[in-house]
Amino acid sequence: MLALLPALRRYSRSLTRSDIEGEDLLQDCVEKVLVHGNQWRGGSFKSWTYRIMTNLHLNRRRTQQRHPTVPIDEAAATAEPEMATDPLENRRLMAALETLAPEFRAVLMLVVVEGHSYQEVADMLDIPLGTVMSRLSRARHALREKLRQENVIQMRRPQ
Amino acid sequence: MSATKPVTDADLNAYVDGFLDAEDRLRVEQFLADNPDAATMLADWQSDNEALRAAFASKAVSRPGDQALVTYAGRPVFSTRRRLPAMVAAVLLIFAAGAAVGHLGPRLLNTHEIELTDSEILPQESKNAFLVYASEVRHPVEVFADEETHLATWLGKRLAIDKLKVPDLKPLGFKLVGGRLLPVDGRAGAMFMYEDGFGQRITVLVGRNADNRNTSFRFASADRLETFYWIDNALGYAVTGEISRDLLRRVAEECYRQFPS
Repeated sequence: MLALLPALRRYSRSLTRSDIEGEDLLQDCVEKVLVHGNQWRGGSFKSWTYRIMTNLHLNRRRTQQRHPTVPIDEAAATAEPEMATDPLENRRLMAALETLAPEFRAVLMLVVVEGHSYQEVADMLDIPLGTVMSRLSRARHALREKLRQENVIQMRRPQ
Repeated sequence: MSATKPVTDADLNAYVDGFLDAEDRLRVEQFLADNPDAATMLADWQSDNEALRAAFASKAVSRPGDQALVTYAGRPVFSTRRRLPAMVAAVLLIFAAGAAVGHLGPRLLNTHEIELTDSEILPQESKNAFLVYASEVRHPVEVFADEETHLATWLGKRLAIDKLKVPDLKPLGFKLVGGRLLPVDGRAGAMFMYEDGFGQRITVLVGRNADNRNTSFRFASADRLETFYWIDNALGYAVTGEISRDLLRRVAEECYRQFPS
C-alpha cells in the first residue's frame, strides 16, 4: 500500500482542483482501502485502489454539485512552485481540465497520466470498453477545444 | 493489403496512446497521410498527452506522513477519519502559517492576486494602458525622453529594480517618447512609450511578479491590438501596439534582450 501512494497521490491530484483536495481524497481512499481490504476479490490490487478512489471522487463531486463549495485554497490550487512546466501554460491546462465532466476526466487521467490500458480502465470503472473509448475521445476533443478557444500561441524565446 | 478496414475514432485514440500493433499503426499512418486535418488533431492530442503527464509528474511523490497514513488509517481507534495525519497536518499548518505570516506578511496574502497577474492581468493591463495613453497627444507620459536618465532612476526605484534600463528600440525604428508610473495588478509598474517616424506608438509595460519563474513568450490579440508578454523571474513584461505581429515580436525580443534578467 505504501508503495502505491505516490502514484495514487498523482491520480488524486489529477482529478481535483488543488493539492489539498487531492490529499484529502487520497486519505479517504487509503482509509477506505484499509478498512475494506477484506472485500478485495483478487485481481490487481492497484486497479482496485484506483477504482475506489475514482468512485469516491465521483460520489463527492455529485455531493458537491448539490452543495457547491468554493475551494478554500484557491491560491494553493494555482501555486505550483515545484512544477517544472511553464506556469502560464499549466494554469491554462488546469483551467481547461476543470471544464471536463468528472467521469471523462477520470478516464483521460487513468489512460494518459496513469498509463492504464483501455481494458484495465473498463474493468476498473466497471463500464463497457466502448464507454471508455467514447469518454476518452470526448474528453480529448473537449480539452482541445477549450485550449484552442484561448487566443494564445507559444513561441520559443529569442536567444 | 487490408486497406479496406476503416480508421475509427477509437483507432485514433489508441494510436496516440500507443496501444496499436504494428499493422494497425501503419493503417492509421496511411490514413493520416491522406488526412492532414486528422494528422493535426493527433499531433495536438499527443502534445496534450505530454502536457498532462508533465503537469502531474511531480505529484507522484512520497510524503513524510505516508507511513502514518497507512498505519493508522482504518484502525478502529483512528477510524473516525484520519485523525493522526490530520492532527500532524494541522500542527504543521499552524506552525507554517505562523512562520509564514511572520516572515512574509502581506506578500502571502496577495498570493492569489499575483497569480492572476501572470496569465490574465498582464496582457489586459498592457492593452488598457496602450488604449488610454497612446492616444494622448500632449501628455502621453509623465517623464519625457529628454529626461531618460531620471526616468530610469525614478521607475527603477519605484519598482525596486536595480539599474533599470529603458530599452533602446531605435534599431527597429521606434524612438522613446517617455514613461510613466502606473499600477500593474495593484502595484507600482512602469510603462514606456515609443513611436516611429509616422507617430505610430507602442508601449512596454513592466510589472512586479511574485513567483520567481520564467515563462515562454506569449501572444494575445484583441481588437487589432497585438500584445506579447512574458515573465522573467520577478518581473512580468508586456509589449502592446497596433502594428504587425512580426514587428511587435521583434520589439518584444529586443526588450527581452535588453532588460536585466
